[in-house]
Amino acid sequence: MKRISALAAALLALLAGACHSGAEAEGQLRIVALSPEVAEIIAALDGTSNLVGVTRECDYPPQLTRIEQVGNFGAVNKEAILALKPDLVFTSALEQEALGTDLQKMGLRVIQIYPRKLDDLPLAVIEIGRQIGKTTEAKALADSLSRGIAAMRNRSAGLSRPKVYLEIYRDPLMSVSDYSFVGELIETAGGDNIFSTLERDYARVDPEDVVKARPDIIICYSHDDLSSLLARKGWQDIPAIRDRRVYFEADLDPDLIQQATPRTLRGLDLLHQLFFPEANEL
Amino acid sequence: MKRELIFALLLILSGVLIAALYLFGGGADLNIVTELRLPRLILTVFTGMALAGIGSVYQLMLANPLAEPYILGISSGSAFGAILFGVLGLTLLMPLGGFIGAVLTLVVVWRLAQKKGSFDRSRLLIAGVIAGMFFAAGISLVMYLFQKDTMIILGTLMGNLGHVFTHGEWSFFLVLMGISLLILAWLYFRAPALDIMSGGDVYAGSVGINVSRVRKEIFILTSLLIGITVSYAGIIGFVGLIIPHVVRFFVPSGQKRVYLWSLAGGGVFLLLGDLIAKNIAAIELPVGVVTAAVGCPFFVWLMLRK
Repeated sequence: MKRISALAAALLALLAGACHSGAEAEGQLRIVALSPEVAEIIAALDGTSNLVGVTRECDYPPQLTRIEQVGNFGAVNKEAILALKPDLVFTSALEQEALGTDLQKMGLRVIQIYPRKLDDLPLAVIEIGRQIGKTTEAKALADSLSRGIAAMRNRSAGLSRPKVYLEIYRDPLMSVSDYSFVGELIETAGGDNIFSTLERDYARVDPEDVVKARPDIIICYSHDDLSSLLARKGWQDIPAIRDRRVYFEADLDPDLIQQATPRTLRGLDLLHQLFFPEANEL
Repeated sequence: MKRELIFALLLILSGVLIAALYLFGGGADLNIVTELRLPRLILTVFTGMALAGIGSVYQLMLANPLAEPYILGISSGSAFGAILFGVLGLTLLMPLGGFIGAVLTLVVVWRLAQKKGSFDRSRLLIAGVIAGMFFAAGISLVMYLFQKDTMIILGTLMGNLGHVFTHGEWSFFLVLMGISLLILAWLYFRAPALDIMSGGDVYAGSVGINVSRVRKEIFILTSLLIGITVSYAGIIGFVGLIIPHVVRFFVPSGQKRVYLWSLAGGGVFLLLGDLIAKNIAAIELPVGVVTAAVGCPFFVWLMLRK
């Protein structure tokens, strides 16, 4: 019995030591951010030094890749988060919904941030700023984002809108609706998403419907390449294919338009340039 | 004989009707009919034929009414290969990945099933099931690690007949399909041997059939065929299991005829399944779900009637 107690004590001591080794820089707010969007906003608010844990997807700005990783977006290691002794954990929605509840049960303070719409972005920035004690910086960033979004809406108003098809997957073929963040960005930048109404934000679509809709522009994020896209059976009469107005990840970084971050303004601007090349040349 | 005639008439009539609806339903211009709907129809009919044909062969060869084309693990290996290529960003090469997966599984099951030169059906069945479980675990792991690509994975696991072909890919597929049709024809001529083998290996051997060799040939050729169907259409359950049984309700004996009508029945049934999958809801449903949802009640009705 004595031996068992001694062993248990030794184990406890080891555990305590392991937990303690995660704690650094006493006194400073310790934040774990599990979504690349929130991590990027925190960095933009000059809060990188408060970040003690991120997920593998958090790769912008590049300094974030030096912070300890606690898993990837959909598979987070809860023990690794606990070991970091955070004061605050930012989660997102989707796969992280249930995780947030688990972490709360473990006694952690969890804030869920998931800007679904473009107008939610400045609000998310204000909320993050309030939580991490950077209200002034957050207010300034949120204001500039709101101004940028409003300016883009003005620029696009009254222009003749090109029809846009965004491809997420090729097999099965999938696109986005206007209810998705990226779909709303396309509309805001002056494009007309050919699948404005789908049953879900991201949904399977019929190749026939793409051909019938005759999009002027194709944004292809399905890892396909130009030669194969141009050679698809039945797609030859699509204006975007005929006029070679087809763009890939190399032309437009998906993170700029699929994630709600301060770089969203840059994404909007690039989309507008793709949609209205003549107007942007002037 | 009369019952077989009724079955044949029903099948041909419904086949023509379903194909017409499939090609021209809802109104579409010539470009869509010839370049999109016709290739999809060909892929669908071919897949249905191959699955039901192989199902009827396996049920006899393995002496197991639950045998179906996916039972020997080839489909899991093929799906694993296709999915792995897909999540690694090699979308265009997914059919190649599927085929590589199928061939690798074929080799593994082949090695496991052999014992001192003989190719015993119980060993083959066990080897196939084990290989299938192994690759199913691999698929689960990939699913867990690449959660954002769930749609690619589900597309392969639940069947996807909406493969987007380029002109080059289509020509290549037609060549593969030509080879596959030759294999299907070869299986037809193997039917008498299978009938005899169903009486037991010893009996078949006594009438001069090299049982191990026939089984090996069938295993290799059907595996290649399954690899091709999974590579382009994913895994579509139910067709290969139930269609041969449905056919046997109408054509009680003779593998040659059961096989032929299974080919036809599988093609028509999968075409109907895909037509429903595309049109029943606002969003296209996975065809594998529809084949089970339509086929199970039908099969139950047939069983109760008997």
